[in-house]
Amino acid sequence: MLRQWSVQSGQGPGGPELEPAAEGLWESEMERLCASRAAVRTLPYAMADKRFIRQLREPEGVKTSCWQSWQRRRQMAGRRLGEAAQRLARGCGLWEGSLYEIGGLFGTGIQSYFTFLRFLLLLNLLTVLVTAGFVLLPLAWLHPPDPGPAMNLTLQCPSSHQPQTGVPKFHNQLWNVLTGRAFSNTYLFYGAYRVGPESSSAYSIRLAYLLSPLACLLLCFCGTLRRMVKGLPQKPLLDGDYRVPLSSKVFSSWDFCIQVQEAATIKKHAISNEFKMELEESHRFQLVQQQSPAQRACHLLSYLRVNILIGLLVVGAISAIFWATKYSQDNKEESLFVLLQYLPPGVIALVNFLGPLLFVFLVQLENYSPNTEVNLILIWCVVLKLASLGMFSFSLGQTVLCIGRNKTSCEPYGYNACDYQCWENSVGQELYKLSTFNFLLTVAFAFLVSLPRRLLVERFSGRFWTWLDREEFLVPKNVLDIVAAQTVTWMGLFYCPLLPLLNSIFIFLTFYIKKYTLLRNSRASRRLFRASSSTFFFQLVLLLGLLLAVVPLGYVVTSIHSSWDCGLFTNYSAPWQVVPELVALRLPPPGQRALHYLSSHAFSFPLLLTLSLVLTVCVSQSQANARAIRGLRKQLLWQVQEKWHLVEDLSRLLRELDPGEYPCPESPHSRASHRRPFCPGFPCPGSPGPRPPWPGPSLADPGLRSPGPGHGPPRPARRFRLPSGMELQ
Amino acid sequence: MGGSGSRLSKELLAEYQDLTFLTKQEILLAHKRFCELLPQEHRSVEESLRAQVPFEQILSLPELKANPFKERICRVFSTSPTRDSLSFEDFLDLLSVFSDTATPDIKSHYAFRIFDFDDDGTLNREDLSRLVNCLTGEGEDTRLSVSEMKQLVDNVSSRAREREGRLGLWLKLSLPQILEESDIDRDGTINLSEFQHVISRSPDFASSFKIVL
Repeated sequence: MLRQWSVQSGQGPGGPELEPAAEGLWESEMERLCASRAAVRTLPYAMADKRFIRQLREPEGVKTSCWQSWQRRRQMAGRRLGEAAQRLARGCGLWEGSLYEIGGLFGTGIQSYFTFLRFLLLLNLLTVLVTAGFVLLPLAWLHPPDPGPAMNLTLQCPSSHQPQTGVPKFHNQLWNVLTGRAFSNTYLFYGAYRVGPESSSAYSIRLAYLLSPLACLLLCFCGTLRRMVKGLPQKPLLDGDYRVPLSSKVFSSWDFCIQVQEAATIKKHAISNEFKMELEESHRFQLVQQQSPAQRACHLLSYLRVNILIGLLVVGAISAIFWATKYSQDNKEESLFVLLQYLPPGVIALVNFLGPLLFVFLVQLENYSPNTEVNLILIWCVVLKLASLGMFSFSLGQTVLCIGRNKTSCEPYGYNACDYQCWENSVGQELYKLSTFNFLLTVAFAFLVSLPRRLLVERFSGRFWTWLDREEFLVPKNVLDIVAAQTVTWMGLFYCPLLPLLNSIFIFLTFYIKKYTLLRNSRASRRLFRASSSTFFFQLVLLLGLLLAVVPLGYVVTSIHSSWDCGLFTNYSAPWQVVPELVALRLPPPGQRALHYLSSHAFSFPLLLTLSLVLTVCVSQSQANARAIRGLRKQLLWQVQEKWHLVEDLSRLLRELDPGEYPCPESPHSRASHRRPFCPGFPCPGSPGPRPPWPGPSLADPGLRSPGPGHGPPRPARRFRLPSGMELQ
Repeated sequence: MGGSGSRLSKELLAEYQDLTFLTKQEILLAHKRFCELLPQEHRSVEESLRAQVPFEQILSLPELKANPFKERICRVFSTSPTRDSLSFEDFLDLLSVFSDTATPDIKSHYAFRIFDFDDDGTLNREDLSRLVNCLTGEGEDTRLSVSEMKQLVDNVSSRAREREGRLGLWLKLSLPQILEESDIDRDGTINLSEFQHVISRSPDFASSFKIVL
């Protein structure tokens, strides 16, 4: 059928004919297609050609054996299962319509924020599922007996902690819900979980309660890591340049999902801006290269100056948070109790609102390139956010558990028993308040700031209002907010096991609020926001938040004494002690010895050595691959150059033989219109003058082919032919 | 629509599922949308499979209307002799390549063909400059005066991003950089393998190269 094609294309007398070499290439390509195992739909041919190839591979008349048909059915079932699993992992099509609409209007950059929301919702629901399945359901099923009244503890507390009379008590129902007091004795908080001694039941609720936060955090870690790796470039970058190369930016800029003309115009402007910024960046880079050492030192000094200044601001901010938390905890009986309840979350929110504004102002005083500015501000915002949460948990630890200060009030029981009968509940309530406050703030900003702003800007038209304009939807700021909320949820997993459920509800509502804000009250940013590199960065921040949550949890679980009269771990010196007790109780002696060995140094050192060995092998392998790739690139270059030298030599030779008939071939750097590469789907390299009007050799029906007029490049220069033996003699 | 007359047969659906990356619902939706582009009297199943819809109607679909590459997309996927219309199977091919589950290889292959404006199998400088013009919405490649070039080069240290530099300068200065980064065999053009290599370094590509009905 290939010969049929070449005949059909017509040959003039003495005109160029299909070279035997090219025909051989096509035949080998056909053989390769038929023999390969790649699914037909992955081949880049038109539907009719794919059918033809499929028929070539398995002619219909031939009976397929049972084995083959079974295999085919298995493959189909496997593929369907894979598709269903992928759909499930992406959220069962939750919010697909909304995501599609947002992508069509604003592009994939802003859409990535909303897919990130969906990802976090799934993580939270998974956590709730694990907790419910392993802790709540067995608790409800087994009906463990109540362990009896708490021990009567005599406490010697300083007199200043006596409750004052005459303080107005807030019995407002709404206020109790907002501070978490309404749920103190429900399963939302740690204190309500009660269970008998370990020896009395086969299923250890204590172990489940202890291990389920750890298991959930591990699952979240794996999920985040997987998503992070997907955002990385697929192939390793050899020269260590981790910036996305300009060429791949150019080729992947356009979002094909945009459907609205205005959005397309905005996107074009954004792309244009980005290209201009690239120009500016490269100029700036060149200028920097040409700087003298003195100028470079000056530049470095100014860079340090800005960073130190911002660092000092951050330190000031987190000490404000520390002070606020301490004050709020120390003055629980004041008459301004109502305000003090929400002082720490308020200060954190204020700090995280003013901080970025100050950073932007300070950084713009210097004269950095736009990319550097954005990155610097972003990094400091992340540092501020995570540091404020870290400082909050540290100051809580200081008041409740006497960490980092003199331990007189914590002496007898390991925690500040005078002020906190059930300290886990108090900590849980603080985190609950923080989480609720963040959500209420989001709602307040959406309806009390963005909406009036849009209404005012639409109504009035002065210079001030046009300058103010609608709010710009900034993806980095919004992502940082939800990452912070997720970190708070992870911190509270041990004290408030159903906090992920609350957070899921908040995320669900946040999606709709943000969608409303985006579609109604915002304008698209003029800055192009690349989904991939920033997605990677925000997954990294999520991981940092997870680590920040794990550290206090690990410390509390292994070293801090639980409350004496509430919760599951009343008789243990630390919650982790349940594990050795259960191991001694339930496992047979060989199992105990094996477990003991696994947790000892004698196991961890060989493990560490093996891992180092594996890592060394991987690194040396990748270095060897990099060398091989460099060598292959050089080889490719030489081969192409050699090919063109041969072409020039041969044409010179032929011109000497028969001048006038063989014009010299064009070199690669001019308009090489007659050179066609060989690759599937493209016209054959040896194709004669008027080439077939569509790409791809239509294998099935050559009869359809007729060269279209005026298509393709002008008639190419006469291709030179390998001279036959007779001509050369 | 509705009615059994406009439903595709099971065998045909199974065959299309085998030959494309689309699911059954997507194929049925594509068929429905394709039939809406045909005149009323030709909307039966057999006729829809044979019909050729001219480009103007395909380009009126909302998914393609705002796309600067819409003509190139239609031309690449068209298998008609005059290359100015799409059949239903071409339409399915189009949706299959742009679907969620298509492999990055096939996406990059077709992206190459779409960006190859002169259909010669390689991306040369003219292709690249036409690509950039499509992306940025600018008109012809404008000539830059000496003073403007000097101005832009000299004043980079100030707030140059506010300034309206001509894109022509960008093209003149950056095309060599693009070619240098991507052209491995140094022949002055980018062929398919080089293009696929460049695209593999950009994880954005697979998620932005998507059209869903």
